[in-house]
Amino acid sequence: MTQQGMSTKSRHLTIPDLITIGVFTALYFVLVAMATLFSSVALMGFGMILLPAVAALICGCVYMLLVAKVGKFGAISVMGIVVGLFLFVSGHFILSLAASIVFPVIADAIARAGDYRSKTGILASYVVFCYGLTGPILPLWFMKDAYVASLQARGKDSSYIDGVFAHVNTGTFFIAMIAVLVCALLGGWLGQRMLKKHFAKTGII
Amino acid sequence: MALDPRTKLYLVALANLLLFFHVDVVVESLTVLLLLLPLLGAGRWAAAVRSGCIYVLLLVGTWASTLDDGSSWLHMLGLLCVGIRMMMPCLIAGIYAFTTTTASQFVCVLRRMRIPETIVIPCVVCIRFFPTIHDDYHQIRDAMALRGIAQGTFALLRHPAQSLEYILMPLLMNATGVTQDLSVAALTKGIGIRGPHTCHTEIRMHGIDWAWMVICTVPLALGIGGAW
Repeated sequence: MTQQGMSTKSRHLTIPDLITIGVFTALYFVLVAMATLFSSVALMGFGMILLPAVAALICGCVYMLLVAKVGKFGAISVMGIVVGLFLFVSGHFILSLAASIVFPVIADAIARAGDYRSKTGILASYVVFCYGLTGPILPLWFMKDAYVASLQARGKDSSYIDGVFAHVNTGTFFIAMIAVLVCALLGGWLGQRMLKKHFAKTGII
Repeated sequence: MALDPRTKLYLVALANLLLFFHVDVVVESLTVLLLLLPLLGAGRWAAAVRSGCIYVLLLVGTWASTLDDGSSWLHMLGLLCVGIRMMMPCLIAGIYAFTTTTASQFVCVLRRMRIPETIVIPCVVCIRFFPTIHDDYHQIRDAMALRGIAQGTFALLRHPAQSLEYILMPLLMNATGVTQDLSVAALTKGIGIRGPHTCHTEIRMHGIDWAWMVICTVPLALGIGGAW
């Protein structure tokens, strides 16, 4: 109990805080893996583009509980960095490491502005955090370029190539990004509601 | 043949560079071949053969999609094949790094690379916690089945929101308890002590590590240099 008391006073992350972050990161990573499976199998190949949105929809509770349990600067950033590290080691595109460092740090700063209590502040920070998962889908744009290059190498003219890719353009990108925004808002709100329903009543947080 | 974990990380980074520089197919397939060899060396025959076959299939798919001029669905197939094919080096390097590195080796590497404890400790806990999630999940499913909720394989998909709540909430409840137990256990074992920590597992770069790093880099260097 004294440990608990000390850790709430200290402004820096303590060892118990770090362990809490580790546990919640593991849960978050499992949910992301499920979202990957769902978006690539159920939505077929290019459903991968919706991965951040699907993940945003289901990860709300984990994020909200982490913020409620730790509530210090660094918790969200560390979670993002660890997720990015695991993504990188398991063979994801290297930019996913960069994205999952930059966005969580911003999210952390936003949540801190509300002192980790303001509900809207945490919701806004969750939305930003969710963009951290856009890293794994970035190669899709590289792939289009590569395929266009391979067509050009075969001697097709550029107007023909433009025709082929009329519907794979920046519009798709914006749709994917807006989907993340909507799903993150919905997922975060659901997470907060579930937290209130299951955890606030029993006094865990 | 067992490579050093740092070599594995280097191979993953190298595979990423392939994706970055849009290298030629020849360079890509050579690198894939070089990445598959350590996987075979580590005795992961099934994974190596499977990834190799998928890569060859994707090569055939890419080639076939450029045969015809007219139909656009063939181009979608081609795009899909090219896309997945470009990811394959990363995925193979990732499979190798992930399946052949033990948790203690990974931690040792992180510490050697001077990564702060703030990152290392959550990583350790994370790896340690995956099996717990697996066990908890099965117990929760058993408990749900006992009450007649979501029995069978696809029953979870019928009410996704309900399934999520019924599975995730007990997991989170349990996680908050486990966190405290783990904290006490880890502090008892001295995780909070300042100063450098020693590792039971020793890692060392051998000649073969350096050699393999150089060999794998050759195709990429030639590709960027314009030899192909």
